[in-house]
Amino acid sequence: MQSFALYPFDPPGDVAALRADLRGWLAVNQPVDDIVARANCWASFDPDFSRALGAAGYVGMTLPAIYGGGDRHPLERYVVIEELLAAGAPVGAHWIADRQTGPLILRYGSDEQRERYLPGIAKGELYACIGLSEPGAGSDLAAVRTSARETAEGWRINGQKIWTTGAHFSHIMLALVRTEEGSERNAGLSQLLIDLDTPGITIRPIIDMAGNHDFNEVFFDDVLVPHGALVGTRGQGWKQVTAELGLERSGPERYLSSHALLVALIDAAGADPEPAIAGVIGKLTAEMWTLRQLSMSTAAKLAAGEDPMVEASVVKELGNAFEQDMPRRVQAIVDCAWDDKADLARLLRALLIASPSFSLRGGTREVIRGIIARGLGLR
Amino acid sequence: MSAAREMLCDTARAVLAGASDIAPVEEAGFALLLVAEEGGGFGGDWGDAHAVLHIAGMSAPNIPVAAVILSGLGDVSMPHRAAATVSLMAGAMGQALALSIDHVNTRQQFGRPLGKFQAVQQSLAVMACEVAAVDAAAAAMAARLDASGFDADAAVFEIAAAKLRANRAVGVVTSIAHQVHGAIGFTEEYDLHRVTIPLMRWRGEHGNDAHWAQALGRQVAVLGGRGLWESLTARAG
Ligand SMILES: Cc1cc2nc3c(=O)[nH]c(=O)nc-3n(C[C@H](O)[C@H](O)[C@H](O)COP(=O)(O)OP(=O)(O)OC[C@H]3O[C@@H](n4cnc5c(N)ncnc54)[C@H](O)[C@@H]3O)c2cc1C
Repeated sequence: MQSFALYPFDPPGDVAALRADLRGWLAVNQPVDDIVARANCWASFDPDFSRALGAAGYVGMTLPAIYGGGDRHPLERYVVIEELLAAGAPVGAHWIADRQTGPLILRYGSDEQRERYLPGIAKGELYACIGLSEPGAGSDLAAVRTSARETAEGWRINGQKIWTTGAHFSHIMLALVRTEEGSERNAGLSQLLIDLDTPGITIRPIIDMAGNHDFNEVFFDDVLVPHGALVGTRGQGWKQVTAELGLERSGPERYLSSHALLVALIDAAGADPEPAIAGVIGKLTAEMWTLRQLSMSTAAKLAAGEDPMVEASVVKELGNAFEQDMPRRVQAIVDCAWDDKADLARLLRALLIASPSFSLRGGTREVIRGIIARGLGLR
Repeated sequence: MSAAREMLCDTARAVLAGASDIAPVEEAGFALLLVAEEGGGFGGDWGDAHAVLHIAGMSAPNIPVAAVILSGLGDVSMPHRAAATVSLMAGAMGQALALSIDHVNTRQQFGRPLGKFQAVQQSLAVMACEVAAVDAAAAAMAARLDASGFDADAAVFEIAAAKLRANRAVGVVTSIAHQVHGAIGFTEEYDLHRVTIPLMRWRGEHGNDAHWAQALGRQVAVLGGRGLWESLTARAG
């Protein structure tokens, strides 16, 4: 991957009309919420908004029409999600289901699973969470110990997941579990689709340092799920998860989470900013524009059926660095007290506090750099 | 890449490989690359110029290939020269990365190739991200120049963003490349300085960071916060 071949981003159909329609729809339907909610908006949970968005055809866009999807091209979906993020729309409730769980069920799931889950996902009504991390398995995901044993009645699950974003409002979890007794590392893992109202599941909140309840601990105590909960091939969980992470890492959310702050900075600076502020706006814009090119190119490569694992990691690495740097740069030039009530100040504070998580969630900086190094042939 | 561009690149590689001065570049007719076919030229687009300059930055960064190619356009502005420089920079950075990878895979210390050490791997990953960013910026800028018919004013947003992004990558790329090379990279004999010194020079030519940051920042201030997004999405994609 030494040279980043730029894939042309060329969605079918009238992209300008797609954007205009969505902007018109948002002008009417986007809730008038606090500016702070507009930052990091893929963590803002608003089921009413998700349902309305689904009814308007902007959720499950790439799923087949027989499952209630929009039969649209992945790059049309890309256009829609970048617009939603740039507008700071509260897309958190359906985000994971729409981005990765739906596509994964379509790719690896059984007919029964597709019929059961995809229509709800496309309506923006069925929410999913990602059950990967465990207390002993963080960066070292292959250390997963939660087990599922096959019995006559189904799979019996015991163990614990942690840091599970949205488990408390999700209907299903796509979990990586050890189905083969005595197996080690990335062998013997499988993916199970677990209905979270199954008896034996306990979900406990973990409050984050911003005071928000986004992630959770999820305990499985002799939880019985049907045989049909297995997704894809038994023992191939590792491979499937790797594909899922490709969907997760390169999207526009990796550089647009903090877009609200850039917008607020530009608006606060006015049309004739002082040179120090103009310079920072220029640098942030150059970075943001470049990230958009990288992200679009990676999306185009993904849409062409290739596996841009390394490119996706490049987008995540640079996007995380940009989004962590932005609030620091803004703080360095804008004079405001920590408890200032002005929009810009509140947004700044929220993003300074939220930003350490950017290079943890979805794979840590070190893990991501390791993937890139492997792509360079160094590992 | 189209077959015509593929051939053009093969020619450029062959001409530039051993070139020590500009004569072979002129003889090969690169001054006609951007001249329209009706005018007796090759009728290439900016994407073609970008591809040739990328190769020049990689293998002949000290030969004024950009000046020869731009001469075909007659009167060129400073943004045109900045745009050409971005392509050179992308190529030179790619070469610095390639040399670095090669070096850490061969040089052994502590009984292992340097590339087996995690600290070295992580440094090169950081460098590769910068190179990827500049490649993407350069290619998108070239696409915009083609969409605008080489009109540098219409493409000044992309040129500013791409030159600024490339400038900012120079420090990271040159310092990591030299760090992983150790002393050998600091010698006259070894090839690394043939790309790192030009990179240092290009950062200050045709607009340094402050120049383009001000230019871009002022453009964006006029657009306004939401206007920036509307403008970005109206310009491409
Ligand atoms: C906001 C947020 C949301 C999340 N949501 C989810 C979710 O929905 N589902 C889910 O499954 N998980 C989720 N996670 C968990 C996330 O995936 C993990 O935090 C991450 O994988 C790192 O694991 P860890 O926290 O155990 O850190 P550790 O693995 O303990 O790592 C700590 C530090 O050591 C470094 N490190 C570890 N091993 C190495 C090594 N070999 N070489 C060099 N450095 C190393 C890491 O890079 C990191 O910097 C979320 C995390 C956050 C912060």
